Amino acid sequence: MTGTERATPEPSRAAVRDRLDRVTDPELDRSIVALEYVDRIEIDGARVAVEFTLPTAWCSPAFAWMMAVDARDEVESLPTVETARITLTAHMHETEITRGVNERRSFAEAFPDADGDVAAVRAELDEKARVARQYDAVEALLEAGLDPDAIVALRRRDFEGLDGGTAADGADETVAVYVGDRSFAVTAPAAPIERYLEKARETGLVSDPDDRLFRTPEGEPIDPDAFDLVRRRGRLAKVNMSSQGGICDGLREAREGRLEKSADD
Amino acid sequence: MYQHNGEEIFVIDGHVHLWDATAENIDHDGGEEFIQCFYDYHTTFTPEDRQWSIEEYRKYGPDRMVEDLFGNAATDMAIFQPTYLSDFYVEGFNTTEQNADLATEYPERFVLNGSFDPRDGEAGLEYLEELHEAYDIPGVKLYTAEWRGDSKGWRLDDEEAFRYLEKCAELGIENIHAHKGPTIRPLNRDAFDVADVDDAASSFPDLNFIVEHVGLPRLDDFCWIAAQENNVYGGLAVAAPFAQNRPGKFSEIMSELLWWLGEDRILFGSDYALWNPDWLVEEVLEAELTQEHRTEYGVEWDLETKRKVMGENAADLYDIDIEAKRRAFQDDEISREFGLGDHYAGEEPAAADD
Repeated sequence: MTGTERATPEPSRAAVRDRLDRVTDPELDRSIVALEYVDRIEIDGARVAVEFTLPTAWCSPAFAWMMAVDARDEVESLPTVETARITLTAHMHETEITRGVNERRSFAEAFPDADGDVAAVRAELDEKARVARQYDAVEALLEAGLDPDAIVALRRRDFEGLDGGTAADGADETVAVYVGDRSFAVTAPAAPIERYLEKARETGLVSDPDDRLFRTPEGEPIDPDAFDLVRRRGRLAKVNMSSQGGICDGLREAREGRLEKSADD
Repeated sequence: MYQHNGEEIFVIDGHVHLWDATAENIDHDGGEEFIQCFYDYHTTFTPEDRQWSIEEYRKYGPDRMVEDLFGNAATDMAIFQPTYLSDFYVEGFNTTEQNADLATEYPERFVLNGSFDPRDGEAGLEYLEELHEAYDIPGVKLYTAEWRGDSKGWRLDDEEAFRYLEKCAELGIENIHAHKGPTIRPLNRDAFDVADVDDAASSFPDLNFIVEHVGLPRLDDFCWIAAQENNVYGGLAVAAPFAQNRPGKFSEIMSELLWWLGEDRILFGSDYALWNPDWLVEEVLEAELTQEHRTEYGVEWDLETKRKVMGENAADLYDIDIEAKRRAFQDDEISREFGLGDHYAGEEPAAADD
């Protein structure tokens, strides 16, 4: 802070980072901060500027668009922020995306060539993220001693201690899970279950306390006979994401190396 | 014949290109971005001391290709998969006609595939017939996410695409290689979508659908489809080089593939010149599944599986008689040029378990 008088306090860098941390690469379901996509954060009073780069110039413009919009909306959700300006660099469509997001245009307006909006792709990727997160949540419950029959029958109301908000930060936090007509409870780590619920809510699958928590990738309740297959499909979704993450990490490093080399020449 | 722990393995590289990305051939910024992105893939997964310079990488020419593929006997045969990209490159990036020069010079060593784009309408069907007549192509490589004018891509289950697949079935072009992986100019459309393979595969049971790059980054959708359609195969290009610098991830991907598809429907491919088979074949053959994955998935990356994935599965699809090839290669031009006769003179290899 400088000595100049300000009517409102400006946001802290940590607060901005925290908001950006909630933005995920929709394909990898990992935070853009953890993925090191964010290159720069500049704070000037109530105006925040964020610059980010993706692993390759060829990253899907639709995915880049989603991240840019989410970054803008997350940062602007801070009460101390009036506007967030997002700049995408080193991408084949950096101009369209940067201008479109900051001028608050729709994807279809920013890309007149495209065949419509990005909602369908976003919904599909959210569904994949849900399936992968379900795998972690189910593993945690198996580890806690629940059997498959009990797990597929679980409803939102069977959990006690979930905050219902964003994913729990503390890895030590636990929840109580009631089974056998609430006759007994087991404790399980909260984080994977919170993370799962967050996506399950986003995809509109679990909103009511009576809704079954876990579903097939198609969104149906799980037949106990299909438990193993659904679990394997969840694991497969995770393997797919982490493999793609491996490619993205590699491409990002390779491109940084290439750009540094050409800067040295 | 690759020597692996004293055993011979016949290697068919299911995915190779001879491309030209020199400045003179680039017609559009996309062409330059495309080769730079390829080069990032190359350096990401190639051991440092085996990496090429970008200049070599832009155009390596036929002699180098022959030496890289066959010179040290890493590969016995290779299948050309063309990549036209005619909106980006003046003469195309890597067309059937360009590949044909080398394929006709060494017809025993190369398989030449063609390509089609259903957006070309009647003219495209005629072109497909011409390719069939000129080269008797046994397969095609397709890019469903390729931009063309106003179109941002097409689907294998489009009505128009089905006309082309019918033509393939009629002409006996049985192997349909669909590029489903790293993208080519997608916009809002999910260019990685593999769902269109499902309907096409069930509608054309006599054709084989090889999903290149095993659908990465849609491995999950691909495996789910392949588990249900037994004429769907997975090409390992892009997944294979994980063996070099991410062995745990390679183990995991292979375990998934072996569990969902089984060992008969996975095909090795180097994606040359993205990666060189001279080191990649060895990395893949020497790779091991982790004990954790072997236990969890109940699959093995053993000699029999390796033989199938590295050559026998492709041989089945392309009607290649491996034993006849082995005899022919004892004294073909390439074996003489690189002194490889001994590689093919060994004892009769163990019979394939079909």
